[in-house]
Amino acid sequence: MARIGVFVCQCGVNISATVNVEEVRDYAKTLDDVTVSKEYKYMCSDRGAQLIKDAIKKHKLTGVVIASCSPRMHEQTFRRVVEDSGLNPYTMEIANIREQCSWVHDDPKKATEKAKTLIKAAVAKARWLEPLQSSSIAVTPNALVIGGGIAGIQASLDLADSGYHVILVERTPSIGGRMAQLDKTYPTLDCSSCILTPKMMDVANHPNIELLTYAEVHEISGSIGNYTINITQHPRYVDMDKCTACGDCAAACRLKDRIASEFDMNMGKRSAIYVPFPQAIPLKYTIDVDHCLFLTRGKCGDVPACQSACVRKAIDFSQKSVTHERHVGAIIVTTGYDLTDPAALYEYGYLKSADVITSLELERLISSSGPTRGEIFKPSNGDKPKSITFILCVGSRDQTAHEYCCRIGCMSSLKHVFLLREKLGDEVEINLCYTDIRSFGKGYEEFYRKIRGINTNFFRGRPSEVRPINDQLSIDIFDTTTNKLFEITSDLVVLVPALEPSITSEGIARVLRISQSPDGFFLEAHPKLRPMDTFTSGIYIAGCAQGPKDITDTVSQASGAAARAMTILSKKELEIEPLIAQSNEDLCSGCGICVSICPYSAIELIEDKKGTHSHVNEALCKGCGACCSSCPVGAMQQKGNQDTQLLPMIKETV
Amino acid sequence: MKKKYGLYPGCVMPTEQYAYELSAQAVLSKLNIDLIDIPNQSCCGEPLKSVNKLMTLYLSARNLALAEHHNLDLFVPCPMCHLALSEAKKILKENPDLKEKITAQLQNEGLTYQGTTSIVHTIDLLHDHIGLETIKKHVTHPLKDLKVAVHYGCHLNRPKDIGRPVDSENPQKMEHILKTLGSNPVDYPQKLDCCGALLTINLPESALTKTGQKLDAVQNLGFDVFVDTCPWCHKMFDARQTKAGETVAKKLSVPVVYLTQLVGLAFGFKETDLGLHLNQSPVDALLSR
Amino acid sequence: MSIIDLTSMAKPQEDIKREINQRLLKLKEELPDYCYQCAKCTAGCEAHKLLELEPHKIVALLKRGLIDEMTNSDVIWTCMSCFKCWERCPQKVAPVEILFALKNLSVASGKQIPGQYTSILQSVLTIGLIQDIQTITSKEGKTIDRTALSLPQLSKPLEPMKFQAVIAQLAMEKI
Repeated sequence: MARIGVFVCQCGVNISATVNVEEVRDYAKTLDDVTVSKEYKYMCSDRGAQLIKDAIKKHKLTGVVIASCSPRMHEQTFRRVVEDSGLNPYTMEIANIREQCSWVHDDPKKATEKAKTLIKAAVAKARWLEPLQSSSIAVTPNALVIGGGIAGIQASLDLADSGYHVILVERTPSIGGRMAQLDKTYPTLDCSSCILTPKMMDVANHPNIELLTYAEVHEISGSIGNYTINITQHPRYVDMDKCTACGDCAAACRLKDRIASEFDMNMGKRSAIYVPFPQAIPLKYTIDVDHCLFLTRGKCGDVPACQSACVRKAIDFSQKSVTHERHVGAIIVTTGYDLTDPAALYEYGYLKSADVITSLELERLISSSGPTRGEIFKPSNGDKPKSITFILCVGSRDQTAHEYCCRIGCMSSLKHVFLLREKLGDEVEINLCYTDIRSFGKGYEEFYRKIRGINTNFFRGRPSEVRPINDQLSIDIFDTTTNKLFEITSDLVVLVPALEPSITSEGIARVLRISQSPDGFFLEAHPKLRPMDTFTSGIYIAGCAQGPKDITDTVSQASGAAARAMTILSKKELEIEPLIAQSNEDLCSGCGICVSICPYSAIELIEDKKGTHSHVNEALCKGCGACCSSCPVGAMQQKGNQDTQLLPMIKETV
Repeated sequence: MKKKYGLYPGCVMPTEQYAYELSAQAVLSKLNIDLIDIPNQSCCGEPLKSVNKLMTLYLSARNLALAEHHNLDLFVPCPMCHLALSEAKKILKENPDLKEKITAQLQNEGLTYQGTTSIVHTIDLLHDHIGLETIKKHVTHPLKDLKVAVHYGCHLNRPKDIGRPVDSENPQKMEHILKTLGSNPVDYPQKLDCCGALLTINLPESALTKTGQKLDAVQNLGFDVFVDTCPWCHKMFDARQTKAGETVAKKLSVPVVYLTQLVGLAFGFKETDLGLHLNQSPVDALLSR
Repeated sequence: MSIIDLTSMAKPQEDIKREINQRLLKLKEELPDYCYQCAKCTAGCEAHKLLELEPHKIVALLKRGLIDEMTNSDVIWTCMSCFKCWERCPQKVAPVEILFALKNLSVASGKQIPGQYTSILQSVLTIGLIQDIQTITSKEGKTIDRTALSLPQLSKPLEPMKFQAVIAQLAMEKI
């Protein structure tokens, strides 16, 4: 016969203020098979735990019911307590009388009655609980990092430095990401390339990092500790071993200076064979499949110009895409961001005038290694602007575009004001239309103060539109600090667009089966306490792929994600929770409904002496229960939540 | 076979803007559209929205109910009426309480409302329903070398939330039609600016100033003709052009025509068939070309 | 009743007054309160430069509950309903709709209706349209109306009494 102990927690006043804990304790004592019933202020405290342990031993308990908070909070805690006393940890059941009772009800009488019912049900289940054993799987001590921006670089280096093998996959021809496009970083005004390039070099030279650029992850199978990844590497049509990046090919290309450079945000031109920027890693040329004359039309003179120019014979148009299979134990996703297309807010004139540019386009103009070598010109006619106007929050904090704040627009614009003033002197008018200036980081408010001290027209408000009139741009801005309308005429308008998840996010989410929040960024398991985890164990997120953030926060999060991944990689073996599905092979008719319904591909149909029946792969099953509820004959049961354990709960409650 | 539409003329067009009615009838008839008169109609209520929104809603609803009774979709040449009817349709679909209230009142006039009538304006009728290909087939006198400024009229563009026949920020359907006629529509910075017509009710001087400012800009940009599709706007730009010019201290001389008048000219209609003798602005300069 | 007795509305009875107060409160609750005062509406307001309408301030005053200030002010009657404020608001607040509601309230509480609104209302009540057929002058100096142009008869309410009864009732009723 079962001997069950009931332990009722007061949770300070969280429970006891609404539920009469003493009454509940006394009630529990009257239930069949309940040998002992106790209440205490904090069951999760050391003294509470000791109280449980002593009772288990003294009363030789076979099952335990804890009436407390949600199992999400302290299930693991109490399992350990039970296990320390020599009981199987899975003979413990929690009755949630906080989140589902005291916190949501006002009437103490009714709440107390509900608490009793919840405990009665938990006791009913506890009678039928069986000891369960956890199993374990070996861990592959490799990590996959998807995306080679500063987040991916940082995470890869941390993992590699800790001795783990890292496969870093980057979609474009070079790592470096958005940070490589920046001229300076705020608030310290460090040269972005100067601090980024050494890290890129470290990635290239690290013995523990395998760098796969111009490549994409297209398939993944397995689960935490043992993933199999298929990576497609696109052909560069250039032999990486032979190419010395001398640049003779690009100089010879018939489309030289004819193709808009993505790296320069279309502010500069490149050839059809190119390196995105001089500090690219790997420093190898790539042929642009969408533009190359030979690849698009089958003909580029008698012999493709690049081929004739390359003395090393590195050009190879016969290259095909290659698939690599890799095995890893954990994955970090750092796919970054794209800027919102400002054409979505048509009124701001991005499509009407070449002199309306984005903040990232300005960044390329300011950069001394950019297409204008750091000179600021009006894109329309090459004139030097005498007046520049910034419009912040374009598509940010906007119900018609993106509800959220981009978190970098204010600070990057303040930085731009500083750099422009430095370059253009005091003669040029600089206007800045802002909604609120958000300078929240370390040293940011100090930087904002510094910019306030230099000659800038701050207008608090949003213009309604930008009108191109006679080679200039006309902007009406109502400044709410002076309560006046200012009619500005400017030569260059800089829109500061919202940040969006990288265009690749949706595909990555599908391949990895991780969730996106409604804004499209990858969803973290908990916004405060598990910001780098996804709901899929073994897969972590960092940087702007998780949400808009600046470099400081991105690097911190990337190191954090690397540390999170190491909690898996550092183990030789992983314990697998036993609360998973198992098929009763005698009952199973082999209909296969469970196979089609399982979101983790953990079930397969096998044929043996008993005929065709389902079989659950323990390493893959997450215990979601979908198969159990879909099984027409009840052959699929979830351990710890079997029909024989759940039905008595219902019987006692209804 | 001819496609039928019920005509909802509104107030301004049938009581004074005869040129719009004549030219629309002429052009649409040529394009195989039959406009059916519906008796018992009234004002759409939009000019009284400032006085009482519920009254506006009722007035629009009763006109929709009448079209429904005749089993006709509605051709609504006035953008203001078009917005009022579209908004009423949306409100009655989304707000059951108001629908009940309005339906009860409609019964007093022997009317019922289901919400089955579609509403089209001149521009989407020409552009979306008839189509540029068909229009092109009827062009016998292409309007070559004609630099056209277009004016949509605020109620046709906005608000997007109610569902409008043209894009709110970058409308181009009228331009497409004008290009089909062989003319050269050119975007200008003031394209979406308001004519101020609604202010004629209580601040007529200010209304004229809005009109004057817009026409002044158009005149300075050297347009040959200014095209609109709204009887309210047209009244401002055409009949009141001289007065509007006085408010901005400018002598304005801009030919202003309805879109349907230009289409009619390209189709080879006589001036009087299109009511061009009724335009008050200097359209002679245009006609002599 | 063929026309509303507008003067009687200038002295609202106590129960009507109470009802209006309730509506004022209701108005404040119902309208979106999400404005963060970026003044994009005012920057693009067609009536701002000419008549000093500040839609963002209208929204702010409404938030503070200062409704009387607005219903008593002529400025609410300067809106030309171009709908740009509604279209471009990043928080989907529609100042133009708030202005319509305020004007409605002002009328309902018996305040002076400006300009030609009264005569338009009377015209709609009597003939169903804001104006009757106008005679216009062509360029040749001829006077012309619908008949002269062989245009069909004007469509008007066929049973004016029933039509007027409904409109009159709605005019008195509250939003």
